Amino acid sequence: MTISGGLSSALSGLTAASKAAEVVSNNIANATTEGYGRRVMRTSARVVGSVGQGVKITGVDRLSNPIALRDRRLADATVAERGGRAAFLQRVERGLGTPDQPSSLSGRIASFDSALVEASSRPESEARLSKVMETAKGILLVLNTASRDIQSARATADDQITTQVSFLNSTLEKIAAANQQIRENFGSGRNTNGLMDERQQLIDSIAAIIPLREAERENGQLALYANDGTVILDAKAGVFGFVPVGIVTPGMTLGSGALSGLTLDGRAVRTTGDRSPITGGSLAGQFAVRDDLSVAAQDKLDAVARDLAERFQDAGIDATRAPGAPGLFTDGGAAFGAADEVGFSQRISLNAAVDPSRGGALWRLRDGLGAASPGFSGDATLLTALQGALTVPRTPVSGGFMAGERSFATLGADLLSGISSARLQADGDMSFAQGHADTMRQIELQDGVDTDQEMQSLLMIEQAYSANAKVVQTISNLIDLLLGM
Amino acid sequence: MTLVSVGDLAQSFVLRNRSAALKQDLQTLSGEVVTGIAADQALHLSGDFVPVAALEASLAQLASYKSTTAEMGLFATAMQNAIASIDASASDLGQSLLSAPTSTSATRLDATGFDAQQRFEQAVSTLNTRFGDRSLFAGMATNGPALVGAGAMLTALDAEIAGALTAQDMVTAISAWFDAPTGFAASYLGAGALAPLQVAPGETAQIDVTALDPALVQTLKGLAIGAMLNRGALAGDLLGRSQLARAAAESLISSQTDRALLAARLGTTEAHIGAADVRNQAETTSLSIARLDLLSLDPYETVSKLEERQSQLELLYAITSRMSRLSLVNYL
Repeated sequence: MTISGGLSSALSGLTAASKAAEVVSNNIANATTEGYGRRVMRTSARVVGSVGQGVKITGVDRLSNPIALRDRRLADATVAERGGRAAFLQRVERGLGTPDQPSSLSGRIASFDSALVEASSRPESEARLSKVMETAKGILLVLNTASRDIQSARATADDQITTQVSFLNSTLEKIAAANQQIRENFGSGRNTNGLMDERQQLIDSIAAIIPLREAERENGQLALYANDGTVILDAKAGVFGFVPVGIVTPGMTLGSGALSGLTLDGRAVRTTGDRSPITGGSLAGQFAVRDDLSVAAQDKLDAVARDLAERFQDAGIDATRAPGAPGLFTDGGAAFGAADEVGFSQRISLNAAVDPSRGGALWRLRDGLGAASPGFSGDATLLTALQGALTVPRTPVSGGFMAGERSFATLGADLLSGISSARLQADGDMSFAQGHADTMRQIELQDGVDTDQEMQSLLMIEQAYSANAKVVQTISNLIDLLLGM
Repeated sequence: MTLVSVGDLAQSFVLRNRSAALKQDLQTLSGEVVTGIAADQALHLSGDFVPVAALEASLAQLASYKSTTAEMGLFATAMQNAIASIDASASDLGQSLLSAPTSTSATRLDATGFDAQQRFEQAVSTLNTRFGDRSLFAGMATNGPALVGAGAMLTALDAEIAGALTAQDMVTAISAWFDAPTGFAASYLGAGALAPLQVAPGETAQIDVTALDPALVQTLKGLAIGAMLNRGALAGDLLGRSQLARAAAESLISSQTDRALLAARLGTTEAHIGAADVRNQAETTSLSIARLDLLSLDPYETVSKLEERQSQLELLYAITSRMSRLSLVNYL
């Protein structure tokens, strides 16, 4: 070993130690940065000819665990999808209310029933007839509100899809730009780790919207694939297309063309099912709310409204009502016809003939909708018949309810039970997905910066630095010795 | 280099997650302890609301039957009282009319006749009684009186008997008026009997008594015959007048059984309503218990769960503070 060779080695050791300290300090500074991949300095022995000449820094690696990362992203996407469904069902369930609340659908049906019984006990009492009218309106209020809630949830889903699609598009563009920059830096040999961190954060931000798979390309490039294999980004960012509608009404569906589907680079893509590129993410969750869950809930609600209207539209109940004339519950003033079932729960209203605020009279509840003048004040026949119509077992004709006769109160409870069961299922799915996502995130975070480990490295770096410095000092002494001779 | 290391964020993530979950549990459980009812009823009932809704609907119905039975019971009692007072008055008059002719005293007959007219008027006004602003004997026409005034009826009867010369003729004429559709029936202002009402699930009761009930018509007829004594019928013919008094007495006494039967019929309805009410109350109690069974939670279980979560959270706090102090930095 020549003296100058030794000096050179010691100097390389000092440089490596300083560089290592820099890497460690950078790691510690980013200990709480999410998406930061821990950096590790790689070194190798420098050899000149056949002689060792100190240490060589071969690079700073950014550690990441692509499998943990992918699993975590998929789990996040599942949580976002299930969450969207569960939130919708919760909203509908809350709108209907549980039977113990007086303001729930069941509670209001029970009030209407009671009001009819009480009115039949004293048909001459204005207060009791008025209570019949108010409680009937109460049922309609729940039906109308629930239907409007469902449609506004659809409109919200439509908005959400718009927002998510535009966020998706802009983020994909940024990822493509980051890819481009990494390629350039790679070419000029500059460090790309910081850019990779940034790119990972960008991908993370859209991973919950659609489940993504990464594929590494040469020069540090990344391609993104959807679960079904559709290319989302490779060299060039894909562009999703969606047309929002603003206001959604019950009759508007994806199938009828009134609502927009999703396109990728101008080609229509499926929004549900295994062959859809978005399945399993929050975007698919919003599509499910808009096109599937809400339509099913609206169907059931309409069927309940129809059952109510048809019960009171029965020809045998009120002799004064002309055939074909609307019953106690009307479709915006007209008789309900089976062809108009879609969205009926939103339009169902009380017959104006019994509503004093709309030019009607309360006594028509007692004497018949078509009665020209008040009849006997103590005649409870019609009121009893109305109460009978509400409670008589009847088979709902639509809505996909299980076959079998039931009273209106039971049908209302069936509606709630259906929604609640679906919500419980969605909650269960959601908490399972959440648990999975938490585990995945924990695994991912375990690969992050461990300050204890960094401090240990720092101790070693300190030792290495002082050792190298000692070598320099010793060599300096040696040279001094030579010069002083 | 595969050194085992655990990222700092992993630890804080787990601690944060656990504390959030525990706090949420605590909130849910403390709500449940206070209300005694499951916070998520759907979960508690496995999504099946039909039994609870059926119980709630039955309870609401029973509550409304309670007011129906109470009101019907009150009306029936009021009618019963009215019938009792008419019966007492009629039977009383019957006795005094029966004894009046034996005295063959004109004054006595005059006084009894006056009494009879008073009682007729009283009976008519009793039948027109309103209870809770509801006419009792007018059937479905509950907002008006059951009969025209006693005066109008007596005037009509005066005209009917104008040509009659004997007591027998008069009684026949009065009877005919009470039986004819244009006679007493035209004085009835009410309508058909009240409709049957639900008093319990699947059970109806009906108060079908009106002023047109034969027992009441018969009684009014007797009273009216007596009242004719006070309106100058057969004036001066003491024998005829005493025969008229006897006929009135016979009519009143013979209709006594009908009145008793009427009261008994109404009494049966009252008993039926009362029994329905008792059954309804019993059912309300048992349904309320069933409802609580379905919805409520075992308070001991809830409280013990609450305590468990509390101690878990305290433990978690202790661990969090220990772990945050455990860093190599502090020992360098």
